[in-house]
Amino acid sequence: MTILKIDNLRKIYPSFLLDDISFSISEGKIMGLIGKNGAGKSTTLKGMLNLVKRDGGSVEMFGMDFFKHEEEIKQHLGVVLGGIDFYNHKKLSDITAVTKRFYKNWDEDAYQNYLKVFSLDPNKRVKELSSGMKVKYMLALALSHNARLLILDEPTSGLDPVARDDLLTLFKLLVEKKNITILYSTHIITDLEK
Amino acid sequence: MFNLIYKELRLSAHPNLFIFTLLGILVIVPAYPYEMVFIFGCLGPYITTVYGRETNDIYYTALLPVRKTDIVKAKCLVFVLAQMTQILISIPFAFLRVVVLPAGNPAGIEANVAYYGFGFIIYAVFNMIFLVTFFKTSYKAGKAVLLAIIPASLIMILMEVLVHFPQFKWLDSTRANDLPKQFPILLFGIVF
Repeated sequence: MTILKIDNLRKIYPSFLLDDISFSISEGKIMGLIGKNGAGKSTTLKGMLNLVKRDGGSVEMFGMDFFKHEEEIKQHLGVVLGGIDFYNHKKLSDITAVTKRFYKNWDEDAYQNYLKVFSLDPNKRVKELSSGMKVKYMLALALSHNARLLILDEPTSGLDPVARDDLLTLFKLLVEKKNITILYSTHIITDLEK
Repeated sequence: MFNLIYKELRLSAHPNLFIFTLLGILVIVPAYPYEMVFIFGCLGPYITTVYGRETNDIYYTALLPVRKTDIVKAKCLVFVLAQMTQILISIPFAFLRVVVLPAGNPAGIEANVAYYGFGFIIYAVFNMIFLVTFFKTSYKAGKAVLLAIIPASLIMILMEVLVHFPQFKWLDSTRANDLPKQFPILLFGIVF
């Protein structure tokens, strides 16, 4: 089953053009979006998530038009935007208390389990987490509402080799054991090879 | 919508939004320009939008399974609720000051019916310009507040200056026989 299908996605900036982006991903697969810094990886992801207004093209997720069924699709979607931290001064428990209200399939037991597996302390503030732990927290939120598709924008950028390997192993595990689909942008080719 | 308002209050609102809401009590301060209450009521939303930009609030919210129009509605609703709560908090103190400070306010307008009418007009003008300008981009808060605070300040200055003219003495009064003259301002403010 095709989980994500992008056709002719287009975004025009005064000094930058993202033209004719098309690809698709099947369920339970991991796919890399690779390119140098400034190539338009983040713009592609933001354009398909309606975080920036696109100038053309279509986006289908779970067989539905993303722009017509945005609310419904986001119930099954987990997103980690690299380099963007939410609410640095807030405790993880505060962010979780708000986030879980929006998801019909929120699984509190699974969330508590992910906190233990990822060694996350809910009483810590976001600013007290390392870059790798921030990504893990975002993953814990996404996995606790049973996201079927994870869209990760440079989640391993800025991490040390150990933390990167740690995360890559986790992504592999999610795809193999939980049949989760991952779209993953990076400029680090070795990460993608793994 | 309730979840979004809860999110605004728990994650997005800067602590100053709550503190400035409580500053409705300033109408009990002797010899104080009460326009400051409305300045604080305008600053609260501005500081919260800047805080939201710094905490990436808009990215977090845009990724939630909600309609974008509801995100904007919830934010606007929280700001207006803060301003209206501030006015509600100030009302008992406006009554109290008539008893404890019968000599009136030499610094400017009394906290009377006309004052609240001007308050509603100030908030309506500020919100209309600030919120419309800000939500065109969701990050250019400085330009939005500058465009909004200028007309809002002009109304505040007008309110504070008028009461010093003898022919507008009724505007600065808390006497029962002057109140009917002030009610149209309150009514206009509420409708506006």
